[in-house]
Amino acid sequence: MEIEDQVKYVEITYRGIFQKRLAKYIAEGIVYTAREMGKPAVSFGRYGDSPERNGVPAKYYVGIGNGISEEDLIGYSTRVEPDLVDVIVVLDDTLLKGVESWAWQGVQPINLKLKPNGTMIVTSLKRIDELAKMVPKKEFNWTLGVIKTEPSFSGLWAFKDDLTMEKVWGAIAKLRPDIIDLDHLIKYVSKKSNADKRISAIKETYTSVEYRTIVKNEGIDFLYNPPRLLTWQEMLEGTVIPAVPRGKRNEQFKRGTTKFERPTVDFDTCIKCRLCWIYCPDECFDETPDGYYDIAYDYCVGCGICAEVCPVKDCIVMVDESMFTDYRRPYEMWKENRVKYKEWLNKVRQARKERVYVPGLGR
Amino acid sequence: MTEVKKIVEKEVLMNGTQAVAYAAMYADVDVVAAYPIRPYTEVMDTISKLIADGELDAEFIVAEGEHGQFETVKHASLVGARTLVGSSGVGWLYAMEAIVVTATDRAPVVAIIGNRALDDPGAYGVEHNDALMVRDVGWLLAWVDTAQEAFDTTLIAYRVAEDQRVLLPVGISMDGGFLTHSEQIVRLPPKEIVKDFLPPYNRGKYLVHPDNPITVAPQVNEDWVMEIRRQHEEAMERARVVISEAYESFKKVFGRYPGSTGDIKMPENPFVEPFMIDDAEVVLIGMGTVSKPMKVAIKNMRKQGYKVGMLRIRWFRPFPTQDVIRYLSNARVVCVIDRDYSMGSPNRGGVVYHEIRSSLYDLDQRPKVLNFIGGLGGREITIQDVEKIIKIGYEHRDTPITKPVYWVGVRGDPW
Repeated sequence: MEIEDQVKYVEITYRGIFQKRLAKYIAEGIVYTAREMGKPAVSFGRYGDSPERNGVPAKYYVGIGNGISEEDLIGYSTRVEPDLVDVIVVLDDTLLKGVESWAWQGVQPINLKLKPNGTMIVTSLKRIDELAKMVPKKEFNWTLGVIKTEPSFSGLWAFKDDLTMEKVWGAIAKLRPDIIDLDHLIKYVSKKSNADKRISAIKETYTSVEYRTIVKNEGIDFLYNPPRLLTWQEMLEGTVIPAVPRGKRNEQFKRGTTKFERPTVDFDTCIKCRLCWIYCPDECFDETPDGYYDIAYDYCVGCGICAEVCPVKDCIVMVDESMFTDYRRPYEMWKENRVKYKEWLNKVRQARKERVYVPGLGR
Repeated sequence: MTEVKKIVEKEVLMNGTQAVAYAAMYADVDVVAAYPIRPYTEVMDTISKLIADGELDAEFIVAEGEHGQFETVKHASLVGARTLVGSSGVGWLYAMEAIVVTATDRAPVVAIIGNRALDDPGAYGVEHNDALMVRDVGWLLAWVDTAQEAFDTTLIAYRVAEDQRVLLPVGISMDGGFLTHSEQIVRLPPKEIVKDFLPPYNRGKYLVHPDNPITVAPQVNEDWVMEIRRQHEEAMERARVVISEAYESFKKVFGRYPGSTGDIKMPENPFVEPFMIDDAEVVLIGMGTVSKPMKVAIKNMRKQGYKVGMLRIRWFRPFPTQDVIRYLSNARVVCVIDRDYSMGSPNRGGVVYHEIRSSLYDLDQRPKVLNFIGGLGGREITIQDVEKIIKIGYEHRDTPITKPVYWVGVRGDPW
C-alpha cells in the first residue's frame, strides 16, 4: 500500500491570527469524528508559518490513518507538511490567488498539494463558476465545493462561535464521507454544548453546499517556480544576507498574499503630500516623475496604514481583495485612461468595505 | 490475590506542551514561573488557564525574563514548593546562571525545554543544542517523543527529582513543532490516583525554614568544591535506581508502562526504547520525535530484508551506558542521528554520536559508528531520509568507514 492510501490528509488554509483558532478547532473536530469512525487521527500546524502575523496565509493539517496503527500514523505525520492532501479547506476566498505562507518558498498555487480527484472547499459569497475562473489548473479532475458564507474571523484573541466549524465539517461529510461521515460527525457534535444548533448548521450545509467537478486543465495558468535556495558554499558566512540593490525589490520574496484587502488611489484628488510613502511599513510606494505615489501591489500586505494617514477623504481607500484579478499598478492604469480608471475605481469601491461577523445558518 | 484495579482513562486531543501542563496540574504544583518563548510557551498558556479555571491552586508568577524565572523556582523549591518552569532555545540559555545553581543547590525543579534552534539565525524549529548546553552541569535530562510520553514523564520527573536520594532538577526536552505543536490523543488517568504514585514533596533536613535553620549556597572556595561535585555525581548515579523504581511504580499504579497507550506499546526500559533490535545488524540511534519516522522506515526496510533496528535514548542524563553496551554489542553498524552538532569536536560530529562512541570504546568487539547530522533548525527528517541512512549503514557492514559523518540533506553536500 502506498502512503497515499494509508494516510488521508486534510489541509486547512487560513489567515494567520484572524482564523488561527478556527482552523485548529476545525482540525480538532475532524480528529474526534475520525476516531468515532474507529480511525486513528492526529493534527498539526505548519509550525514555520508564524500564524500570529496578521493575515498571513498559514496551514493546519489533519492526518487520518487508513488501516494503519496510531504509531505509524504519527510516524508519517512527523512532518512540516504532507506531500499530498485529499481535502483542502480554504477559509477565505481571497487565498485562491496563491499562498506564500512558508517564507522562502515563493507564492504557491492554492491547490498545489491536491491529490488527483481531491476536493477543495472554499468559504465564499461568490458562485462556484466565478471561483472556478480563479483556481489554478490541475492535470486531473477534482471537486470544488463552496460554502456560501462570509469569511469567519475567529482568531487568537476571541473565538466567534459563528458555526463556521460546523459548516466546514458538514461540507466535508457531504463531499468526502471517506474522511468523516455525517452519522459519526453528528455523534461527535452531540457531545458539545449547543448541540442542536450545531447539528442543524451541519445538516444545512450538508444539503446546501454547492459543488462540481473541475475538469482537467480547467482554470487559470499558475506556474509555480520554487525559488532556488543557495548551497552552504554559495552563502555569505556569519548569517549575512546581501541587500537588494537600491530601487529594486526582492523578486523572490513577495508578501502580497497576506492581504485580504488592498489600497486604491484616486490620483485626481491626491495632493502629493507623501504621507503614504513615508508611513508604508513595507515600502510599497514608488514616487513617479510627476510626484504621485504608485503602489507595487505584489509587495503590499494590505495593512491599511496608507489609507489611515491619507489626509484627503476617499483618496486612498481599502478595497476587498476579491475585486482584483491581477497585480497591475494603479498609476499605470490611471495614466492609460483616466475616465476608465475612475469608473473602475467607483466599481471596486462599491464592494464589501469590511468583513463582518455573520451568525451561522443554523440558528 | 491482589485486586487489579481497572483504570478508566479519558482520551483527550492535546499537543506535547498541553500534556505537560496537565501533568503539572495532576502533580498539584505550587509555584509556576513563566516567561514566553516559542515553542515551549503553550505549557504556560495552558497552566495559566487551568489556574484561572480553578482546576489548580498555584502561584503563577510572570518573571521579568528567563533568569528571574529560573531563580524564582529555585528559591521556591528550596522552601518546599513543587515547581514548574521551562523555556526554549536562547531563552533557556539566558537563564543559564540560574540553571546551573539550581542543580548545585539540589533544587528538584522540573523544567520543560521546547527544543529550538539557537539564534542566529532566527528559527523556531527543533534543534537539541539548547537542552544539551546543560549536559555537564548536573541536570537530569529526558527526551520525550509523544504527547503521552510528555504527560507520563512529567509525573515521573517530580517523583525522581524530589526523591531524597536524588534532589536534582529534571529537564524534559521535547521537539519544537513536531511535538510541542502536534495534537495527539493522550490518555489521562483519573486524577485521584496520582497521589498513589507521587508522594508530597518533602525536602527533609534540606528544607529552608525558620524551624530548620540552614544556609544554602555559602561561599566556599577551594576547600569544599571538589567534595560538593563528588556528592552531586553520586546523586546523579543514584538517580538511575530511582528512575527505574519510578517507572515500575508508575506501571503498578496506572496499569500501563510510561509512554504506552492502548495502541502504542512501550518496551519496559526507562532509559532507552529498543525497537526490532534483537537480530539487527544496523541500529539507528536518535532522541525525540525522529524515532517516529525511524520506526516506519525500519518496518519498510525489514520487508526488503534489511536487518535493522532502533535504540531511542529516553534519558540522556544519566546516560544509559549499560543499555547502550547491552543493545549495541552485537550490531555491526550503528547510525547515530543527531539533531544537534558539536562544533570542533573530535570526530566533527554530533553530541549523541560522541557519547555513543565513548560508551562503546571498551568493548572488545566494537560496532562501527556512523553519524548523521540532520533536522537542524526544524527541518524534516523524512521516512525516505531514514531509509537512505539505513542503506548507507548497511553498505558499511563489511567495508571500512571512510566518511564517518554525513550531513542529511544539506544543500551543497552530496550524501
